[in-house]
Amino acid sequence: MNVVTQIATKPVAAARVGIGGPVGSGKTALVERLIPALQARGIDIAVITNDLVTAEDAERIRRSGLIDPERVSAVEAGACPHTVIREDPTLNIEAADALERRFPGVELILIESGGDNLASTFSRDLTDFWLFVIDVAGGDDIPRKRGPGPIRCDVLIINKTDLAPHVGVDLGRMHAEALTVRANRPVLLTNCRRGEGIDAVVAMIEKDVLFRA
Amino acid sequence: MFDALTALALCQYGDSAYPAGGFAFSWGVEGLAADGLLKGAADLDELIGEHLEARWSTMDRPLLRRAFRAADLEAVAVIDRLADVATPSAPMRDGSRRAGRALLGVSARLGHAKSQAYRAMLDDNPRLGHLPVVQAVVYRDAGLSLEAAELVSGWTLVNGLASAAVRLGIIGHVEAQGSLIAARGQLAMLVAELCPDELRPSSFTPLIDIAISRNPSRHVRMFTT
Repeated sequence: MNVVTQIATKPVAAARVGIGGPVGSGKTALVERLIPALQARGIDIAVITNDLVTAEDAERIRRSGLIDPERVSAVEAGACPHTVIREDPTLNIEAADALERRFPGVELILIESGGDNLASTFSRDLTDFWLFVIDVAGGDDIPRKRGPGPIRCDVLIINKTDLAPHVGVDLGRMHAEALTVRANRPVLLTNCRRGEGIDAVVAMIEKDVLFRA
Repeated sequence: MFDALTALALCQYGDSAYPAGGFAFSWGVEGLAADGLLKGAADLDELIGEHLEARWSTMDRPLLRRAFRAADLEAVAVIDRLADVATPSAPMRDGSRRAGRALLGVSARLGHAKSQAYRAMLDDNPRLGHLPVVQAVVYRDAGLSLEAAELVSGWTLVNGLASAAVRLGIIGHVEAQGSLIAARGQLAMLVAELCPDELRPSSFTPLIDIAISRNPSRHVRMFTT
């Protein structure tokens, strides 16, 4: 077998996309929206949740009916949600490797972190691309605080946009400030409850992670 | 006893920050605390002592020694199967395999040949990958002597127990150092004792085993074991 044939026939590892952010910002809701949207585009996916105290997020996704429950793995975070995705992502890497072995055609693995603070980032050994989810109700000053999470992620997502007028947030200004502190790197707006803005997130994953036109 | 390079290697592999998933395993600390059986530094010291004397020195240590001296990886796998059948608690078995596989994965990614080969063998053997057996493969791959490998194995257990207790708020950071100092003496004493090759791996830690076995059914938990 020549080199070209070897490369052509070698199974391609699944892309790994991290989803981090504070507790309650909408990470699980985003995963629940992304699953059917990605599946509708024919993308073979699996999910890993990093549960802080309970298996709540994993169970929620397993029971959602959106995905085969066998394709959802839970990793306990040992009271350190940032450790499991940053300093020591080994358990997540093993969980992702196990999903790839069990489902050889899987193309994309979503890795949802446990809720953490704005300093939480993903190891590049674990993910190829990562999203950081904040929400308007958490305060419009979050981008200005310049935490490593909102600054260094590949895409910052501002969720719960529908709540902006109810919590006194100027969404336009928050969006503009987020773009400024990120030097105009991507900032997307979503309302996961209604599915608004999800298409843009999926389009970005397709283009920048899966390299589909 | 050890030269400077080995001493530094011991510091690296025995550090609680070594990325092998150790932070996610409390080995009974969380469950015992939840049941009101672990309330402070004195209880933790007792637990560390029980772990070391009634499990590590009689189960993990002989498994590690046998695997370290095994002629080849097939022989290592036989010892791994022994570890599996000698661990009656399913959550304990699962925890041991998850911890072992995480450690093996790091070593394999560092390019260590035996670790890579053994990791490939585990793909088709879901029952294998137990922590003390993997420790033997990984530390031998890293160039440690058997004596050094034993110390790292015992120390990472002690370190993990104390670290879990701190994160659960059972003890403070200074108390943790007190527990580690006490455990140092105990571990040194245990490794100084002979461990005959014919010793059959066994353990008797009923409270710990029950606490770990109950963990998956607890609604609130932060650790794998």
